[in-house]
Amino acid sequence: MELLSNIFPPQNFTLVAVILGLPALGAFVNGVFGKRLGKHAVRLMALSAIGGSFLASLIAFAMLVSFGRAAHGEHGAQAGVQVIERLKFTAWHWFDVSTNGGFGSAPIEVAFTIDRLSSVMMLIITGVGFLIHLYATAYMWDDQRPDGGFHRFFAYLNLFCFAMLVLVMGSSLPLLFVGWEGVGLCSYLLIGFWYSDDANAAAGKKAFIANRIGDFGLLVAMGLLVSYGGALDWEGIGSGAGSLLQRVQVWPIGHAPTTGVAGWVVSHVPFLFQSFNPTVATVVGLCLFLGCAGKSAQIPLYVWLPDAMAGPTPVSALIHAATMVTAGVYLVCRLWFVFLLSPVVMATVATIGVLTAFFAATIGLAQTDIKKVLAYSTVSQLGFMFLGVGVGAFSAGFFHVFTHAFFKACLFLGAGSVIHAMHAGIHDTTASQDMRNMGGLRKWLPTTYLTFFASCLAIGGFPLTSGFFSKDEILYRTYVTHISAASAEKGLTRWEAPTWFGPMLYWVGILAATMTAFYMFRALFLTFWGDFRGWELAKSGAKTKHGDGKTDKHEAAKHDAAHDHAKHDAHGHEPHGPMAAPHESPWAMTVPLFVLAAFALVGGVFNPGLFSKEPGMEHWLLPFFQASEEYVKVKDGAPSAMMLALPGVMAFVVGAGGAFFVYVMSKGEPARVFTEKIPGLYRLVLDKWRVDEFYENTIIGMVESLAETAVVIDKWLIDGIIARLTALVVAAFGTVLRAFQTGVVHVYAAAMVVGIAVFGWFFVWQPQAGATVREQSSGKYVVEASPGLGYKFRWHSKTPDQPDSEAFTGRRTVEVDVSPGETKLVKLDVKNAFDRTTTSTVVVTRPSPSPAGSAQPPVMKGSIR
Amino acid sequence: MIPVEYYLVVAGVMFGVGAIGFLLRRNLLVQLMCIELMLNSVNLTLVAFNRMRPDDHNGQMFAFFVIAVAAAEAAVGLAIGLAIYRLSRSVRSDEADLLKN
Repeated sequence: MELLSNIFPPQNFTLVAVILGLPALGAFVNGVFGKRLGKHAVRLMALSAIGGSFLASLIAFAMLVSFGRAAHGEHGAQAGVQVIERLKFTAWHWFDVSTNGGFGSAPIEVAFTIDRLSSVMMLIITGVGFLIHLYATAYMWDDQRPDGGFHRFFAYLNLFCFAMLVLVMGSSLPLLFVGWEGVGLCSYLLIGFWYSDDANAAAGKKAFIANRIGDFGLLVAMGLLVSYGGALDWEGIGSGAGSLLQRVQVWPIGHAPTTGVAGWVVSHVPFLFQSFNPTVATVVGLCLFLGCAGKSAQIPLYVWLPDAMAGPTPVSALIHAATMVTAGVYLVCRLWFVFLLSPVVMATVATIGVLTAFFAATIGLAQTDIKKVLAYSTVSQLGFMFLGVGVGAFSAGFFHVFTHAFFKACLFLGAGSVIHAMHAGIHDTTASQDMRNMGGLRKWLPTTYLTFFASCLAIGGFPLTSGFFSKDEILYRTYVTHISAASAEKGLTRWEAPTWFGPMLYWVGILAATMTAFYMFRALFLTFWGDFRGWELAKSGAKTKHGDGKTDKHEAAKHDAAHDHAKHDAHGHEPHGPMAAPHESPWAMTVPLFVLAAFALVGGVFNPGLFSKEPGMEHWLLPFFQASEEYVKVKDGAPSAMMLALPGVMAFVVGAGGAFFVYVMSKGEPARVFTEKIPGLYRLVLDKWRVDEFYENTIIGMVESLAETAVVIDKWLIDGIIARLTALVVAAFGTVLRAFQTGVVHVYAAAMVVGIAVFGWFFVWQPQAGATVREQSSGKYVVEASPGLGYKFRWHSKTPDQPDSEAFTGRRTVEVDVSPGETKLVKLDVKNAFDRTTTSTVVVTRPSPSPAGSAQPPVMKGSIR
Repeated sequence: MIPVEYYLVVAGVMFGVGAIGFLLRRNLLVQLMCIELMLNSVNLTLVAFNRMRPDDHNGQMFAFFVIAVAAAEAAVGLAIGLAIYRLSRSVRSDEADLLKN
């Protein structure tokens, strides 16, 4: 440790370059040279990049641990050892942003910070990321779609890890935003990885656009933080958080009108124009949470995540379950001191979280696509995380990020293994993911089954598994905590959540947890228990699916690939049908499953909140969240943690038992009966409450009609009047002018002769009698004639009729005295070399001294004699 | 010494012949010759005026410049005439109206 901290001093922690550089290098090499390198080299590059990054992250974590021990150990505190809580590395100065209405300026550095929070995230990203990379090398090995590409996949995956690391390590909001957008980009690229299928491309676009809406909130929050807080880096935001308590008027925008029709409306509909002045913290918090809701798939922006399952399964596991979608939770944890300033925001976060958890769980009950079930389960679990951070249990919410990364990644990879196996016989993406075609797979996929089962226990909350500890900690905190508002101004009370608020969220959460256990075990039983239902489909599918002309080129390519694969692992052929039996996956896929399942089962030891006063994760994050205890208080007379854990256990028992009863003991009969009894409700749930349709008809419809209006304006106003009309005028002029272009040289020559003759007559034959007047001193004016070759001048400056001297001379100027308010006429005769004379008269006026009189410029009149 | 007016009259006549010839004739080669005539009339005035100031040689220098430019102009003009002839088998300038309208 001594050596390490000498090589990498905490203030200039250059190991960051390795942690970030390796995935970036991997993405570059695989992206640019991958095609020529071949699959083996691509695999080596991708795995070593992310693996090396993991090792470097481990070193950073170990250093943080040792620094923490040194500071908080027996001797450290009194020996005055400086507490090192973060490892910093500043790469370069990025830009300055003006603050405080343009009077101040805050530097934005490209700086990276590894502290207690981000170090855990880094371990999740690189650790789980490595396992999923390893899994993907086997999963994607035989993908021979023309729009696929092994190297492209790993380039994107490495790029994603790079962007995600930037997101968690960035030491300021703009840098976080770079990573935030980077992961969004990689998500888009990987959802639409098989882009020649329209549905995949559309899913990618949907994810991108939904995230864009969230990013708008994040950008607005950044602007507000700069404007009111004066900084964008974590420490700066923290120290400027106090100024976020001032109030801002957000409605009505500007001043309400008082006259005319608008004024009448304002005075008669006062509630519409009541001024609304929340604290800056509330506005910033809500804007930040909009960003979180987009990235972490919360109501109302969750719709993209289920569609994102169009991507390859390892992508779903890494990006859309373990890491990227938890970025929102990370952001709330990172900026907890902003969120906590406003109890309104905290209540909003918790409410949205628990509603999402509940709502997504109901949809999960009816889905038949195994990946869709997991997708809604992810949305639901993310809701639990937001419930945790929303009630001030930041470390509990963050611990759920940690455990969820393991069990959900394991579930997705297990589903991928199942799909991989099904795909060998059913060459149709939808059919091979449909749980109605599965069943009894534990016979052929024992490893997958065991790991899937372990993760189901964890997510369902079976006592002592990781999910049990994290979920029950969240629910316990939900029940007992109360968030008190930061000091209010005089005479203004700030809103605080009522006492029944926490218990209500708790019971909704318990309901959601029950449903979670139910649908997860439903998925488990439908997939792995009972009899295999795929034979029929494989038989009929072989005839219909490939005969109806829908088979396009890559479908065929996939087909071939799958057949090759079936030949490779030709074991356990069932005599029933033409399809090969499902088969267990290669070791590269099962090893990650085992590791993840092990963590899913025993991951609770990192934070056994129920049995320990100072559990690991909470203790580790304590320095980070300690100040939050000022606002987050445990209510008096709250039930003990053990008491509140009981309903959680009951949720598991009821949910899992219900699933066992419905799908194993009764072979799904109650579900069928229910479907037939209330078909309307069933259809509604199966169609995801028709939220997509609702959005389609409201918001998307509005945007589309706006676009149609813009099209009309563009077509008729811009194109029609502005563009076409001007073009027409120019063309008309052109037509007239074209008539002069006869193309005959003689005409041009004649025109030239005429032109020269006119010029000659005007400038050579005719003398030009021009003059300018300027004031030399008060009352003295100088009249100066314009010069010309061979010109001679004669002035009449005293009297207009009598020239000063009869002869023409070369004297070009004459002086005139004018008294105030007087006007004098000066006559000028000009004679040229051809003895021709021109006369002009110059009027010299001196303005009157009275202020009312306006200065008149001298006027000149001329005539040719 | 011959007075300078004589030279000017000769030059004026030469310029007028050249200009009217350029405007009226339709043969490209003749038109080129007319241009030469006009240029040489200008040369004549330059040299004639220069004789009035024996210490100064600017007029003669200018005449040499004009001769050099005239040579270049003749080369370009003949090349254009040749190109037009190749295109339309004629050297009549009123038939070379490709740029009409």
